Parts: sequence; C-alpha cells; structure tokens
Amino acid sequence: MSRLELYSPEGLRVDGRRWNELRRFDCRINTHPQSADGSSYVEQGNTKVICMVSGPKEPSNKSQQNSSGAVIEFNVSIASFSTTNRKKRSKNEKRTIELNTTLERTFEQSIIRKLYPRTTISVNLHVLAQDGGLLAALTNASTLALIDAGISMYDYISGISAGLHDISPLLDLNTLEESGMSFLTIGVVGNSEKLSLLLLEDKIPLDNLEDLLAIAIAGSHRIRDLMDQEVRRHANLRASKLVK
Amino acid sequence: MSLVVKSSLLNKVDGSAEVEIGRTKLVASVSGPIEPRSRQELPNSASLEIIVRPAVGVSTTREKLIEDKLRSLLQNVIIRHKYPRQLIQIVIQFLVTEDTNNYSITESQKQKLTSIELNAAINACYFALVDANIALYYSFSSVCICANSSIEEDNLKVNPDMKDLAVSRSHHVISYGITHSSSYNVLLIESQGDFSEDEFLKLLDASGDLCKSLHDEQRSHIESKIKKEFIWKQ
Amino acid sequence: MGREIELSSNESNFIIEGFKSGVRLDGRKLDEIRQPVIRVLPDEYGYVEIEWGNSKLTVRVSAEVVKPFEDRPFEGIFTINTEISPMASPQFEQGRVSDDEILISRLIEKAIRRSNALDLEALCMVAGAKVWYIRADVNVLEFDGGIIDAASFGVMVALQHFRKPDVSIHGSDVIVHSLQEREPVPLSVLHVPICVTFSFFNPSDSEENIKGELNEEISIIDATEKEESLRDGSLVITINKNREIVQLSKNGGLPIDVFVLMDLSKKAYTIAESLSEKIKIFLQKEESERYKKLHLDLLEAGAAR
Repeated sequence: MSRLELYSPEGLRVDGRRWNELRRFDCRINTHPQSADGSSYVEQGNTKVICMVSGPKEPSNKSQQNSSGAVIEFNVSIASFSTTNRKKRSKNEKRTIELNTTLERTFEQSIIRKLYPRTTISVNLHVLAQDGGLLAALTNASTLALIDAGISMYDYISGISAGLHDISPLLDLNTLEESGMSFLTIGVVGNSEKLSLLLLEDKIPLDNLEDLLAIAIAGSHRIRDLMDQEVRRHANLRASKLVK
Repeated sequence: MSLVVKSSLLNKVDGSAEVEIGRTKLVASVSGPIEPRSRQELPNSASLEIIVRPAVGVSTTREKLIEDKLRSLLQNVIIRHKYPRQLIQIVIQFLVTEDTNNYSITESQKQKLTSIELNAAINACYFALVDANIALYYSFSSVCICANSSIEEDNLKVNPDMKDLAVSRSHHVISYGITHSSSYNVLLIESQGDFSEDEFLKLLDASGDLCKSLHDEQRSHIESKIKKEFIWKQ
Repeated sequence: MGREIELSSNESNFIIEGFKSGVRLDGRKLDEIRQPVIRVLPDEYGYVEIEWGNSKLTVRVSAEVVKPFEDRPFEGIFTINTEISPMASPQFEQGRVSDDEILISRLIEKAIRRSNALDLEALCMVAGAKVWYIRADVNVLEFDGGIIDAASFGVMVALQHFRKPDVSIHGSDVIVHSLQEREPVPLSVLHVPICVTFSFFNPSDSEENIKGELNEEISIIDATEKEESLRDGSLVITINKNREIVQLSKNGGLPIDVFVLMDLSKKAYTIAESLSEKIKIFLQKEESERYKKLHLDLLEAGAAR
C-alpha cells in the first residue's frame, strides 16, 4: 500500500483541514422525546452516535442499590454496519467492556450522584457510523443526553481526540488518520484544564505530550461551546412554548 | 525422599504451602471456612471448591481430572460436618512441571505426567489444610511409584521423573490415611500399565511403608512450624 | 467483584489523613514504589517469580510451533494470559471475570503486546506454515495492589530471560532441537515498557475538585490493596527508557489538572529508568552465573572422561 500523505508540507490534511481544525460537529438534543428521559444525536465528521438516557429510576436488581448515590450504567452497542467490514460485535468483547467502564467512571465523577440515592441512571449509546474519535463522540453524546434528562451535573464533559504526525499535533482525527499515527483521547471538565479522561494507546515521545494535550484541550473547549449553544437553543425553544 | 515444603507463604488466604517434589513445584492455598455462593451451599456439611491451574496455558480436561480425584480424596478426610453451610476453597497452582521447558515431549508422555502432578497436589493439599487449621479425620500422604519390569522391591522407583515413566511398565499413585502414625488405610489408588495381582499386593505393602516415612517428614515439618509460630512461649 | 474488602470509616480516614501529611501505612513516601524482588530458577528458562511488596506473582513464558494467522503469514503469535484465581484474594471468583480484571488484562496487553515489545516477525520460521507461538501466563499468587505494574514488569523480565529452542529449517520442514542438543536462543525484545500506576484521592469535596482552583488532589504511586479500595481515580502510565510513552490510561475517575498529569509522566519516566536498569543488571548477573555453571558442568564432564 502506498503511503498516504496525511499531512502535506503545505499544512493540509487528507480531508483538507488545517492542523487545529475540528471536523463538522453537529449535535441535537431531545431527539427521542417519547422513548427516553433524555436523548441526543451527535455527528463528529462521519462518526454518528445516538444516546438515550433513562433514569433516575428504581434499580431492576435490589443488589445494585446504593444508598449514597445513583448507580450509573453505560451500555455501548456498536452497529455491525458502522464500519466497512461488517463484523458482528459481541456485547462482551473486551474492548466494549472497557469502553463501558471508562464512560461509567468518567461520568460517576461529574454527575452529582448524591442527589439520587437508591436509583439507577442508565445510558444507552448506539454507534451508527464510525470514522475516528469514537470515545470522544460517545462522551459528548452522553453529556448532552444527560443534560436533556435533567440530571444534575457539575459541568460539561467534552471529548476530543488528537494525534501526532512526526512532530506536528493534529486535532480531531478521522479513521484514515487514526490508523496512520498515534493519538490520544481526552475528556475535559467544562472550561477548566482538568482531565477526567485520558487514553493513549500508541507510542508517543514524552516531550511531545504537552503540545498534544494543549491543542486537545483547546479543541475540547470549542466542542463544549458548540454543545452549550445547542443546549441553549433547545432551552429557548422550550421556553418560548411555555410563554404561549 | 526429596520433598521441599514452605508453608504459610501467602497472607490473603487461610493456609498455603509450596511443595517441590523432584522437578515439580506447586503452590496450594486453602480458604475456609468461608461463605459459599448460594448454589454451592450444602445444609449440613461443608462444600469443597477445588481449582487446579496448570503451569502453562488454561486448564483443560487434565486439570479437571486432577480436581475430581482430589475431591474424592479430600471429601473423606476433611471433617465436613463441622462446617455446615460453609465453603472450603482449595486452589492448586502448578509452577514448574516435567513438561515445562521440554520440547520433545509427546502427547502420551504428557498423559502419564498426570500421576506425578496428582501425587504432588495431594501432598501439597495436606500442608495447606494443616496450615489453614481445617479439621481432618486423619493425616494423609501419597507416593508416586513406577515399576520397571516386574514389581519387586528393588525394581521400584519412587517419585519418578519423566524418563523413568517413559521406560516403566506400570506406574501408581497410592495415598494412605494415617492415624496415630501407625494404623493406616488406603485412600486413593491410581494405577496405569501392566501388572499382576500378586505384584500389586507387594506394591501396596511397599507404598505403605513409604507413606509412613513421608508422614514422619510431615510431622517434623509441622513440629518446626509450630515451634516457629508459638512465639509467645519461651 | 465479589467479596471486596471494606475498610471501616476510621481506617479510611486514617489513611487519607496520612496522605495529607505525606505518610503512608507502610512508611513509604507518596511517590515511592515498592522495590520488586525477582527470583528465577537455575534450570528453567522464562519462569520468573516477582514479589512486589506483598503482591506475589509468577510469570511463565512458553513457546510452541503453530500455523500463523492467515492474514499475517510472516508473524509469530504472542499472547498474554492474566487470569486471577481465588488464591490471590477471596475477592476474585473462579469462572467469573470482573470488569477490573478485564481492565487489568487489556492494559497489560496494550502496554506490551500492542507496543510491539516483542518482535513478532523474528518468530517466523516458514512463512504461512510454521511460526513460534509465545505465550506468557501470569499467575497471581497474592494480591496487594499494583498488579498491573508487577505483572507487566514480570512479563518483561520473563520475556528477556526466556530462551526458545534452536531450530534448523530444511525446505518447509522444521526440526526443533532440544535444549541439551543446541544452545537455545533468546527472543528479540525491542523495548522494555514499564507501567507505573498513580492513584488519586480527593481530600475536599467534589465541587472544589471541579470548580475550584486549589488543585489539592493527592496522587500516590503504587497503591496497596487498601489504598486502591479507597481511591477516587487512577492513571496508568507506560513508558520506556527511550522517553516514549507507550500507553496512557485514565479511565475516568477524579478530574486532574493537566499540568499535574504532565508532572506525573515525568515522575513515571524516572521510575521506568530505574526499573529497566534493575532488570538489566539482574539479567546480566543471571546470565553470567548460568554461564559459569555451564562451564563447570563441561569441566566435570571432561574430567569424568
């Protein structure tokens, strides 16, 4: 296979973006008002994710009850048509379980769990299409759906991926770029510089970590603003209906 | 007899022992009496959970076989009615066996190794159970013997290695329960190969003596262990 | 997890208060690891016993000739098997793999297998037909925290200690020579990743953590089981002595400021440096002892003749 030019000397990437540009980020909240307490739809480039939140509700299993705060359950299902090779993915694959636990532990800290003792909040995520930045898109979709469900949270958690090509950091990778370079995914709390999620699976030099984290954090703040816009747009829409 | 024992080496379980017999090295641990899962619970006696893990790879039918043999032996040795609705969990982890680091071994030779491993597991269990203070009806010890041509006193090889097994005509694992270091009864016999009834009876006699001498070793080990543990006594 | 240990409020407060004044139950500093003890047997290759504080585990590396995967005909196969039995601690149930166990095995896999610590192409003998299958079995004998660090350390020692039998290839036939027949050959290990686990604790409430500017979250290195059961989050950094970060994973948990995280990765580097030096010195010593013993054996054999 000929080596694809992921980052041209002129500073353009395969899909024509500059190094610090996000892909088109499109999100909707309250997409399924009838079937869930909170729902959202997120497109990050060609990665498409639906999220539905139900709860706080009574736990199905008494043993899962926790009197100090809500129990949070994540359930990611990846559609077999989400990638070009239609592999059937089982629910118990180690990678999926890792995704679930990672998301659970991320949102356990940002949801004000103590407000909902002895309840369960279950978050169901459906991946419709994958084109890089899966974990980031899942994080963003969950944040929006939880807000839609009216569950108290300390702040937004916005996710984004960033990769390192030679020595230049690139923001928000697609599948082609992900397969050609090492990248990390972060989850940032609100407008702060605190990371609740940090995942890197391939080698990068220690000295480049700082640059990479810097653009990733800038990118995730941008994502947070876009999500905030959508939440406010929807809230205004609802408020205008109330007045009538 | 080359038996190297180290007991009480693990802190998270109630009893443990590391035993080396020849090249075979293993660790046995005993947790109990502990709370069982509800489907394991027996109303009037303790249930046994025995887990055997191989040195290499995941456990196969071979490990299940050893588990089963151990269970049938231990069921009669542990005073189970003393621990109703409780669980005694025994884990055997093999660390070094005859076939590790050996690339010329055949499948049929591997089958024969089960005897060596079963023998080691039984002996390790004894030390671990004693270390865990589980009540036993009597002590037990086990020997693995292989016989070359006909079974005669001088033809026997105790604690054989793989080479001995390969050339032997029959091999046996025999364990005895021992009360008051004299009277004994047979707990388990595992024999494979070609041998006559007469020969077998001779073998039983020989192995009885061996088990008794092994029991003396067990006693001296426990004695020194108790000496070490009773630190408050002058 | 089944029967997880639960600490009393008194004990957990005691431990956290200790952290605030920089002391730990076992007398270590907050950023001090437990020094591992490595043991090998004189006549076994690829068998290593690691004592990491009170955590004990053994790693066994073994080799077998198999057919390669069809999509990778030029590569050998390497797997790491980490199954934790109830021997390690009663909290692990037999036959049921908890989420934590999956995270542990995924992390070790990412740290060692995914980072190409073992050169898979060097394991190929006849392309598409015969390759070496190397497997590393990690057996945890006792669990007292730090399993990821200890297991990946153990696997790396075992891989470098292991010798696979020499082979001669005639066309598509492969003859495996026994260890006595020909001097066995070492595996080709490309780099030595070292995992360092940090545990985070929040001394104040979660509002302060998220909204506040204080950044007074406490991070400690190489937590014991008790400390692990209390922590609010963790970060595993895998790094090698070439200053390459192999893997970073902070699966949720307490949000931590990015500058603190940068600091921690620099700390991890110094630890990785000292641990890989330790492995190197140990293996050199072991090798020279083995060599000496071999010479003695040869001399004895010569004298007998």
